[in-house]
Amino acid sequence: MPQVEPDRAAASIVQFCQFARDNGLSNGVGQTLTALEAAKSIVLADRQVFALALRAVLSSSKEQWDLFSKIFERFWSHSQNASGPDSKEGKELRFNAPRPGASSRALLGLSGSDASPSERGGKAVSGASAQHRLQKVDLADVPHDDLLALEQISMRLFRKMSLRLARRRKIRNLAERVDVRRTIRRSIPGGGDPIVLAFRARKPRKHKLVIFLDVSGSMNSYSLFLVRFAYALQKYFKSVNTFLFSTNVVEITDLLRTRDLPDALGGLSQRAAGWAGGTKIGDSLRDFNRQYARRLLSPNTVFVILSDGWDTGEPELLAGELRNTRRRVRQLIWLNPLLGLEEYAPVTRGMSAALPHVDVFAAAHNLESLLALERYL
Amino acid sequence: MPTAPTFPEDKQINDVDDLIRSFERLGYVTDRALATAVYLVIKLGKPLLIEGHAGLGKTEVAKVLAAMLGTRLIRLQCYEGLDVNSAIYEWNYQKQLLAIKIEEKIERTVEEKEKHIFSKEFLLERPLLQSILAEDASPVLLIDEIDRADEAFEAFLLELLSDFQITVPEMGTIKAKHVPYVILTSNRTRELSDALKRRCLYHWIDFPSFEKEMKIVRAKLPGIEEQLGSQVVRFVQTVRQLDLAKPPGVTETLDCAQSAMSLGKHRLDVQTVEETLGCVAKSMEDGAKLKAAGIEKMLS
Repeated sequence: MPQVEPDRAAASIVQFCQFARDNGLSNGVGQTLTALEAAKSIVLADRQVFALALRAVLSSSKEQWDLFSKIFERFWSHSQNASGPDSKEGKELRFNAPRPGASSRALLGLSGSDASPSERGGKAVSGASAQHRLQKVDLADVPHDDLLALEQISMRLFRKMSLRLARRRKIRNLAERVDVRRTIRRSIPGGGDPIVLAFRARKPRKHKLVIFLDVSGSMNSYSLFLVRFAYALQKYFKSVNTFLFSTNVVEITDLLRTRDLPDALGGLSQRAAGWAGGTKIGDSLRDFNRQYARRLLSPNTVFVILSDGWDTGEPELLAGELRNTRRRVRQLIWLNPLLGLEEYAPVTRGMSAALPHVDVFAAAHNLESLLALERYL
Repeated sequence: MPTAPTFPEDKQINDVDDLIRSFERLGYVTDRALATAVYLVIKLGKPLLIEGHAGLGKTEVAKVLAAMLGTRLIRLQCYEGLDVNSAIYEWNYQKQLLAIKIEEKIERTVEEKEKHIFSKEFLLERPLLQSILAEDASPVLLIDEIDRADEAFEAFLLELLSDFQITVPEMGTIKAKHVPYVILTSNRTRELSDALKRRCLYHWIDFPSFEKEMKIVRAKLPGIEEQLGSQVVRFVQTVRQLDLAKPPGVTETLDCAQSAMSLGKHRLDVQTVEETLGCVAKSMEDGAKLKAAGIEKMLS
C-alpha cells in the first residue's frame, strides 16, 4: 500500500513506474509524472481506485491493460512484506527484472525460456551479409537456427516494401484538381479573377488485395512466410482479404487484423481445417467464387494465388473457375514456389490448364522473390 | 500541458463514487475502472483513449460526460481520407469570391482586401477548431474511431493534443481559452502510434458481466419485464462465446430486448430469436453460425 507520507508515496510510485517499465509496460517519464499527478487527485487509501488510476495512466493497449494487475500485485505485495525499508526491496526487484530488450521481446510475443541466446542470435544476423544470405535461401530449406532471424528480416523488408509502394503511388499522379483555396489566394493581386490556377494532386486510390493461400502438404514450409507477407501488405492496400485453402476454403482475414502476429499464427492452425492435406484448387476456387467473389472482387482488386499447382482435382474445373475469377479482377497473379527450382517447368496438368488465365506467373520460394513482387503490385 | 487554460469548477465531483452516481443518474451504468479513468480526465485534463469492441458504449461516455458537466459535446467522426479541411477549418470560397467581386469598386489596397477575405467571417469552423474556440467553458471533444483515420492525421492530432493550439497560416495561431476534455475511441482495427498512446490515459472496455448488463437493460428499457430481460441478456452472453465475426455488443442486447418487447413477447423463444436474428448476428455467415450452434440449446 502506498504510504501516507506524501514524499514516500511519491517515491514508491516512481519506483513502481520503473518496475512496470521493466516488466513490459511501455510507459515513459511523461507517464510517471502523470501518475504522480493522478495520485494527488485521488484518495490514496482506496487501493482499488489507486490501482485503477495507475492502470489508466500507465497502460496503453489491451495487452498491457491485462498485464497490469499482475505487475501491480507483485510490486506492492513485495513492498508490503519488507515493512521498513520497502524502497530497497523495490530496487532489488528492479535489478532482478528482465532487461528492457527481453521485455520488449515478451511484448512481441516472442517470449521463450531461451530468450537471451536467441536474442543475441537475432542481433548477430542482422548484419548485411547474413541478411543477404538469408534472403536467397529457399524457404523450405531454412535451417532451424535461422528461422527466427529470417522472420525478423522478412517482417522488416516486407514493411519497407509496403512503404515504398505507398510512396511511389503518391508521386505518380500529379496535379489533377484545381485547388480553390490557393487559386483564390493567387487571384487577389489581379483583382479577384482566377488567372493562375493552383492544382492539387489526387489522393492515390488504393487497390484491394485478395490472397488465396495453399496450405496443402506440399506447400507447408512456405505457407507461414506467405502469411507474413500477406500481413505486411495490409498497410499498403485498401483492404486485404486472406483465405487458406487445401480441399476447402477458410477465411483468415480477421486473424491477420491484429498487431500481434505470433498470436494470430497460433489461432491460424486452429482455424485451418485440412491444413497440410491434399489440394483441390479448382473446388476451392469454386467455393470462393460462390461465397465471397461478389463481395470482394472488383475491377479494383488484385487477386494473388500462392500455390505449387499440384492439384488432385479436375483441370477443366480449375481453368473454368480461374476464368471466372479473372473476369472480375484487375490482375491475377499466381506465385509458385517451385518456379525457383532450376529443373522445374509448369507442366503438371493443373498448372498448364491454369496458365492461360494468369497475368503474372512468378516464383515465391525465397525472400528475394517475394520482394521482387513489388514490381507487379 | 499548457498552463494558461483553466478548467471550470468540477461540478461537485469529489471522488470516483460521486462520478459513478452522476453517470448512473444520466442513465449510463459504469464500473469503477471506467469511472476512475473519466475522473482523471476531469482532474488532470488528459485525453482518454477508450478501446474495445463495437457497441459497448464507447461513444456514449463522451455524451454522458458532456451532459454531466453541462458543456457542449463536439464530435469528430474519423474516416479514411479525413483531412485537415474537414477536421479543422476550411475557407468559405464562394463567399470569398463574391466578396472580391463586390469590393472591386472600393478603394482599398491589396493587403487590406486580403486581410478582409481571410478574416473570421469567411472561416468555416470544423470540429477541432470549434473545440479550441469555445468561449465560456471547456467542451467535451469526442474523436470517434480514430483508428479509421490515417497516420498523417494522427500525427497532426498529436500536436493539437499537446498544445491545444491551431495555426491558420492566414490568421495566425489560435490558442484554446479552455482546454477541452478529450475522449478518443478506437475499435482497434489498426495500431495507433506510440506517441499518441503515451499522451493519453487508456481504458479497455470489455463485454459487461451479467449483473452489469442487466443493470444497463433496466436503465435503458425501464418497461421491460424482469424475466424477458434476463433471458435476453443470458442469450446474448452465450452468443458472445461463439466465434462470430462480429460478437454482439450491448447495443445488440438492447435491440434484441426492444424488438422482443415490441413484438409483445413475455419470454424469449426460438421463434422470436429467429425473427429478430438480425439484431444479434450482423452478417449472413454469423447468422448461419448461430443457427448451427442451436438456438434452442442456447436459450435453455
